[in-house]
Amino acid sequence: MSKTTQAPKALRGVGNYIDDRFHLAKTGEKNLRKVFPNHWSFMLGEIALYSFIILLLSGVFLTLWFKPSMMEVVYDGSYERLQGVPMSEAFASTLHINFDVRGGLLMRQIHHWAALIFVASLVVHMLRVFFTGAFRKPREINWLIGIAIFTLAMVEGLFGYSLPDDLPSGMGVRILQGVMLALPLVGSYISMFLFGGEFPGEDIITRLYMLHILLIPALLLALIVAHFMILWHQKHTQYPGQQRTDKTVVGTPMFPAFAVKAGGFFFFTFAVTAGLSAFVQINPIHLFGPFTPTSITSGLQPDWYMGFMEGSLRIFPNTLDFTIPIGDGYPIVTAVLVPGLVIPGLIFGALALWPFIEQWITGDKRARNVADRPRNAPTRTALGVAGITFYGVLWLAGSNDVLSETFSIDLYLTTYIFRVLAIAGPIVGYIITKRICLGLQRRDRETLEHGYESGIIQQLPSGEFIEVHKESSAESTHVLKEKPALTSTALEEPETDDKGVENPDARKGMGKLRRSLAHWYTKDDVSFEGVEPFRGHHTQDEGH
Amino acid sequence: MKWITARRRHPLAGYVVVILALALFGVGFAALAPTSDEARAQTLSAEAPSPEDVDAANGKTIFDQTCASCHNYDGSGTYDEDGNVTNGPDIREVGSASVNFQVSTGRMPSMDPENQMPRRDMVMSEQDLADLIAYYDESIRIDGAGADIPYDVPGTAPQASDFEDEDAYQAAVEEYEAEYDAYIEGADDVDMGMKLYLTNCAHCHSWSGGGGALTDGRWAPQIHESTPREIYEAMVSGPGAMPMFSDGVISPEEKQELISYVKTLQAEPDAGGIFALERVGQVAEGFIGWTIGLSLIIACAIWITAKQRAHD
Ligand code: HEC
Ligand code: HEC
Ligand code: HEM
Repeated sequence: MSKTTQAPKALRGVGNYIDDRFHLAKTGEKNLRKVFPNHWSFMLGEIALYSFIILLLSGVFLTLWFKPSMMEVVYDGSYERLQGVPMSEAFASTLHINFDVRGGLLMRQIHHWAALIFVASLVVHMLRVFFTGAFRKPREINWLIGIAIFTLAMVEGLFGYSLPDDLPSGMGVRILQGVMLALPLVGSYISMFLFGGEFPGEDIITRLYMLHILLIPALLLALIVAHFMILWHQKHTQYPGQQRTDKTVVGTPMFPAFAVKAGGFFFFTFAVTAGLSAFVQINPIHLFGPFTPTSITSGLQPDWYMGFMEGSLRIFPNTLDFTIPIGDGYPIVTAVLVPGLVIPGLIFGALALWPFIEQWITGDKRARNVADRPRNAPTRTALGVAGITFYGVLWLAGSNDVLSETFSIDLYLTTYIFRVLAIAGPIVGYIITKRICLGLQRRDRETLEHGYESGIIQQLPSGEFIEVHKESSAESTHVLKEKPALTSTALEEPETDDKGVENPDARKGMGKLRRSLAHWYTKDDVSFEGVEPFRGHHTQDEGH
Repeated sequence: MKWITARRRHPLAGYVVVILALALFGVGFAALAPTSDEARAQTLSAEAPSPEDVDAANGKTIFDQTCASCHNYDGSGTYDEDGNVTNGPDIREVGSASVNFQVSTGRMPSMDPENQMPRRDMVMSEQDLADLIAYYDESIRIDGAGADIPYDVPGTAPQASDFEDEDAYQAAVEEYEAEYDAYIEGADDVDMGMKLYLTNCAHCHSWSGGGGALTDGRWAPQIHESTPREIYEAMVSGPGAMPMFSDGVISPEEKQELISYVKTLQAEPDAGGIFALERVGQVAEGFIGWTIGLSLIIACAIWITAKQRAHD
């Protein structure tokens, strides 16, 4: 390409016209040269973005025919089995989308599969950020935005799931109402307010619809835009490597390489979603039939992202309910309150607060642009795994009837197993993960001192066999050598000053707590101090 | 991920990815595909057999040989001093519908009186069963207690082995199918059938009839293989942990609506796609969403971001 081809004159004219007014070329060029790190784990957030776009587009399609009304109609559409059945307009219009709108069923399935993939990608994206410490300064705000997106996405999914007014959606709404009713004092008022009277009432679908297609998507969109603007401004974190410091960024420029990849990636995401939707049936509302208040059935669950709440409802014991002796007695239903509100509150609260807790413990106020390798923050990594285990156990417990049937285990037994696992699992997960991290750290130090095991066996003149160790590449050596030491400012201040007077900070309750947390957070870290690369004995250069 | 990195640029890489993706779909399908020919009601309907056609003496032989060890020779069951069932309960007042249900679904003779019996193939021939029931009605049943066999509801389809020639068999099948369709289509109030099923049965057998877990190691079996007559008999006899729904509680016409709802739903094709996940629902959907949906997308992310790295 020796000659640059000029754009046609007409196009150039338009381009110049716009450019003269908005100076796009300059900002554009700056933005197009933004670099992106080249690692798959940085694409996880993009999956979420793309599935959100798919959700918006397919959702708008559905709004064209969906009627958010609970008015009773007698179905006379083309789905024969349910002809003559009285049902809400919402359900009838969803049947209409299924069977009378061209591509309607496919679109509904796309919308639902994309919803499942959307929330799943949020989870893995969030885990990546957590385990690499990418939430640290200066990215705490973006972390909080992420948590908000995740929470809203769950609520958005729950409400969407409730719209078609089929059997599972009605049961989901009823559980939602049960949780609201369990709220002390205000519970019944909130429920009356949301449902516009007794359950199920005439209004709930209309109200959830407004929230589902207007309010929550708008909030989500705003948060996602904010998320990306902050990301754009702060840039990605990057994994440790040569030339990668807290000050410089390495990666592929936005244009053209990354844009091409990202565009391709969007289509792949869409292809998988569409492929699933074309071949795998999801939420077959025509088989479920419309919701009626007398219906109860086993074998139905909420969508997966509500599974952990379903699970905590199922395994939380009901022996802790009590009654406040005022008037006729005021019952406090802990068996619904704790699993329905306290446990999700704890999970999301802990997630939101962790960056600040960690910062308080370590006293680390510097901007961190190089990601941690998970093993180099063993306590955080172990805590993360403990959290995943807890969530995972609750999640599995949400499907205990399916598990019980599939694996022929007694239903009550699964409840007890899950109760034990919910407490023991996270502890075991924590201990094992921490051991693994420390083991990996030790191996890293070994590799740095002695080089890596090449797999070549040599016989020495003395007859002894040794395995030849070789030096790692400069890149790997750099990564190993730059392992940050885990420290905390709390531990740097001596407990007593040189005159033997106790440090006043360390004496106060919070100071003490902080010191012991800092000790717990840092104590097992393997120190790389004083390790000279490849000065240990059996590397090749030392001529064994 | 090094092995991916190294081979990503290989000319065949693209095909490998596609094949892997297809394989994943395939494995997913194999794991979830409907296991057997969900044989639609293979069942015979008939009038009550006339007395000339049955041999109560043969029935007595069968009963004494295969049932009496648990239910006693007079059907009064076997009990210890405290009145607990040891081998089998008193069946003198359960009615012929119960006997027909228990034997035709292969539950009786029980193999393991301690535990709930799964559905099996019937251990005796249709003729032997008819003889057994004649004997039961004549000599064991007290005052016609319990429900009678609902002969007007289609039962087991004709078996080729019971016929001398092909034509007679074909004729019987045709007659059976006509009767079957008449019974199922004779119900015309889907709403009633649906509400009856979802109010009375679905919390144990699940909305799809796929069954579900109960407590104490018991389970509500799937009811897809049951013939309309067996469904009817299950309702009027209340086997094991299942409650009884007598004709006073759910009338015969309502039972017909209910059975028709169950059978029509079962026969309904899965409009949403060839992989219906056995109608397990959200748990299976979530599983597929993660293991196939998200995993494929992440695999793609790994693929497109992989770069040749210096080997170390
Ligand atoms: C190994 C012992 C055993 C044998 C042999 C056996 N049964 Fe049973 N039977 C049982 C037990 C145990 C139950 C109770 C099952 C339950 O409650 O789930 C039972 C239940 C029944 C019932 C239902 C009773 C009710 O209350 O609804 C009938 C009818 C019956 N058996 C008939 C028969 C007939 C007919 C035979 C012979 C073909 C037979 N059984 C052979 C042990 C046996
Ligand atoms: C309390 C839970 C429960 C309810 C409610 C219930 N069943 Fe059952 N059902 C069972 C159990 C348990 C069995 C297995 C009995 C045994 O084998 O001991 C069963 C067996 C059956 C079978 C036999 C399946 C086979 O293996 O062929 C049919 C048919 C059936 N039920 C239909 C119904 C219908 C129709 C209703 C509603 C009117 C209903 N059941 C309500 C628990 C229940
Ligand atoms: C994060 C975003 C979203 C999530 C997680 C989500 C999730 C869901 C779910 C799970 C359903 C039930 C689908 C089914 O019945 O199988 C649903 C239904 C629906 N959604 Fe959404 N949705 C989102 C955004 C939107 C948007 C932006 C719109 C419209 C602008 C929309 C419009 C609808 C409509 C009309 C229905 C009812 C029709 C139907 O159920 O088939 N959704 N949504």
